[in-house]
Amino acid sequence: MATPGTDRQFAAAGDVADVVVGTAAVGTAVFGTVGVLRSVIRLSVAGLLACAALSGVQAQNPGPIPQVTVDESAQAYRRIHVDVEYEPNEAIAGFEIWYSDTAFVSIDDAELHSVIRVAETENLAREPVGGAFDECWSGGLPLNRDGAGNLVVAPGASNWSCSLSGMVPGVEQWIAVVPTGADGGMLLDTEGLEPVPGRTDVPDERTPPPDTRPVTYALGSVILSAIALLSFLYWRDARRGRSRSRLAHLYVAPALIALATLTFYPILYGMWLAFTNADQTRLGDEAWVGLTNFLTVFASPGLWRVTLFTFVWAISNVVAHVFLGLVLALALNSSGLRGRTFYRTVLLLPWAIPGYISILAWNGMLQPDGLINAVLDTGIDFFAGATSARIVVILVNIWLGVPFMMMMLSGALQALSTDMFEAAEVDGVSRWDQFRFLTFPNLKGTLVPVSLLSFIWTFNSFNTIYLLTRGNPYVAFGEPGATDTLITYVFAVAFEYGRYGVAAAWSVVVFLMLVGFSWVYLQRTRATEAAA
Amino acid sequence: MTTRTLAERWYVPAEIRALRGWIPFAALVNLVVAGGETLRGEGDSLRIVVAAVVLFALLRLCLPDGAGAWRRQVARPIALVILILGVYSLVEGQPTPYELWASTWLLVPSALTLYWLSAGLSGTWSAGNGDSRVAELGLGRNRLVAPRLEKLALHTFLIHAIGLVVVPVVWILDVAVSPGNILGGAIGDAFTLDHFRTVLGGENFWVWTRNSVVVAVGTTIVGLLLAIPAGYAFSRYNFSGRKGAMFVFMLIQMFPGIVILVPYFMVMKTLGLLNTSIGLIIAYSVTALPLCVWMLKGFFDAVPRALEEAAVLDGCTQLEVFLRIVLPLSLPAVAITALFSFLTAWNEFLLALVFNTSNDAYTLPVGLSSMIPATGQQWGDFAAASLVVSIPIVVLFVLFQKALIQGLSAGSVKG
Repeated sequence: MATPGTDRQFAAAGDVADVVVGTAAVGTAVFGTVGVLRSVIRLSVAGLLACAALSGVQAQNPGPIPQVTVDESAQAYRRIHVDVEYEPNEAIAGFEIWYSDTAFVSIDDAELHSVIRVAETENLAREPVGGAFDECWSGGLPLNRDGAGNLVVAPGASNWSCSLSGMVPGVEQWIAVVPTGADGGMLLDTEGLEPVPGRTDVPDERTPPPDTRPVTYALGSVILSAIALLSFLYWRDARRGRSRSRLAHLYVAPALIALATLTFYPILYGMWLAFTNADQTRLGDEAWVGLTNFLTVFASPGLWRVTLFTFVWAISNVVAHVFLGLVLALALNSSGLRGRTFYRTVLLLPWAIPGYISILAWNGMLQPDGLINAVLDTGIDFFAGATSARIVVILVNIWLGVPFMMMMLSGALQALSTDMFEAAEVDGVSRWDQFRFLTFPNLKGTLVPVSLLSFIWTFNSFNTIYLLTRGNPYVAFGEPGATDTLITYVFAVAFEYGRYGVAAAWSVVVFLMLVGFSWVYLQRTRATEAAA
Repeated sequence: MTTRTLAERWYVPAEIRALRGWIPFAALVNLVVAGGETLRGEGDSLRIVVAAVVLFALLRLCLPDGAGAWRRQVARPIALVILILGVYSLVEGQPTPYELWASTWLLVPSALTLYWLSAGLSGTWSAGNGDSRVAELGLGRNRLVAPRLEKLALHTFLIHAIGLVVVPVVWILDVAVSPGNILGGAIGDAFTLDHFRTVLGGENFWVWTRNSVVVAVGTTIVGLLLAIPAGYAFSRYNFSGRKGAMFVFMLIQMFPGIVILVPYFMVMKTLGLLNTSIGLIIAYSVTALPLCVWMLKGFFDAVPRALEEAAVLDGCTQLEVFLRIVLPLSLPAVAITALFSFLTAWNEFLLALVFNTSNDAYTLPVGLSSMIPATGQQWGDFAAASLVVSIPIVVLFVLFQKALIQGLSAGSVKG
């Protein structure tokens, strides 16, 4: 499963790499430590920038040395608080924070912790609270992040402080801050650093097990009320003298209780969660926060884009499913077709093969070195561009869904009376007119519910997009990706960002949208049927 | 205008009728090819294909109507130009399957058009020389030719559809037996069983398979134990709350899974059922329950009531009636429902992904997809494992397709 930030913060890693490559190139020539290996991996990410950066490293004047102090009073769990003061200087384009659990003089013996850029901060958006690992301040205000997720400090500032995360408790850590120039090169002698020791003694502590009693009580009361309802109905039947149905309630009871506990209760629980601040760290002791989550949903920058794409995705799929399914069903049902069983069996394959396998197979075929590119003799990365990725996920899902529609419509076609068509044949009605005036109107009774069902399924489908693109390509920090639908985005909010409350609010909004659409669709089709 | 006989007025050669349908289809196929050429950035071929699309459209407009000769005089040169374009692209292009296929869709339609506009009865008719003798002969011939042309078109269409369906299957087969991790490459150029050895010799695959089997079998048993009595009660008894309960069962099928995903996860977490098979069994049997109940109700409805009444007269209790009469009679239907819930549990991905975080608890869907992470993808091993997993499933599906589809449409549409 993806951890927060693997895909969505990829652009950030790229920017970090820009700054690091200079060091990597120097280090590779001299040492061979783990740190270098790490940098080399980055080097390959950043590509060709290394050569450009190499030339400028030693030529820089040693810049002003930042004064680093560790604030022991601001200890936090796995965090060390550092204050950094320096003379503002135009040559400084950023800072790198290096750390190690031993005293080090060369960054080759240390690990890069974070990168802070010096740039104009005017137009940057505030980062969401709790959305990132490090928290940094300058002049008492939290630092903003740029579009790629890097912390940014204003050019005029002369100090900043950071609460560095990921520090092992009870162990001395050595921290050094190195300013970097505009070309990514270090402004300090990287072989003679004087790191500052610091430690956090807040102990490792298991979070207390969540209080499960409310859920247990709720489940118990749901079961009890289901039993009470069934007993009441049983008693009412007995009083009315319907002796034949004596056992009916007993037969229905297991299924109904199972549904009540594992479907009704979760639905209600989900609606409750939408009004609370539940997240990964608060489980079982979430608190009521009113409509905050819904405000978050409606204020989120990608809301309309992701909604629009979801509807485009669902509607284009349903139209293609119904059209292709109908054409194939008509072809399979034409009289005297040889090899009908063979054709039908093969055409059923996309439905018979487990969905995740065929989706992953398409994923492989669409890779730049995959089959499609081999056949076309090209090297296109279909998942790189927003438009091409969107088209590809829709096409793959069409491929998956046609057989189901084909079989449903095929069944409906077989149920039509053949007399009607024989009569039409005798009267010399053309094939097209037969379809238009006989087949299609008689199929409507099947088409309306089946297309609605297909819409709901496609709207709710998760596997195709998750297994093909995971919502990528990346659009902007914290926003849904270009191929995210509402469903995959709700999944990301819940299980990648860990914000259960917000995800529950999204779910409620999605559900209302779906109900609204289905209702309008049924009303409209009924209206057209009444008019026809 | 001279008076025409009934035969003359009725007669349009079957070949011309066929062309009226085929030429737009050929234009459509060439439009698809044009899309492919745009992706490849091959300017020359793209121009040829776009020209062909335009020419096919013109050709369709100029197909003879039997009234005069001018249409044929326009249509034949157009068809000839397309034919020449086809020959050119065949000679110039590489002999890859894709390019051969693309040129075929230029060559064959244009050659057929040329032939049918020039020779035989249809040629005479297109030239405007269709007298009553030609019409009578032609009408007789149409009865013979028209069905054959129709079959030909049908098979061509279905073969193309099958091609689209089969491509990923062939690809998986090829990747599974190709050495290394190659995604493209020629089909069937090398053969190795290394991937099967890696997959079947490794531990992970068997762990995932064991989890999947436990979950799928457990789901089937629990699901049926819940669904059979409920389906029977809905089918046979008229009890208070029947209508309401049936409506609820139908409504739940429409519910988006995502709405209950988060709370489901929380409930499972509080009950300590994450990373266990029991959690998945419970979740699957409940999510598949409504459809199973509807399917079973449909099947039980088909068992005649008279049998049960006779058994009651003979002194059976209600439970005995159910166990001795109804259940054995509807055993095939129960088997289909069982197969259905087995397949659902075997293929389910989202819940398994959310509920299981450790490799030891992965089911096959999550396990197989974990072989294709963002980096270090093992396509060969994945393909081999996919084959092992899907072949039995596909065989089951194909064997029972009719019954499955029947049950499913009874459950989802009629409901």
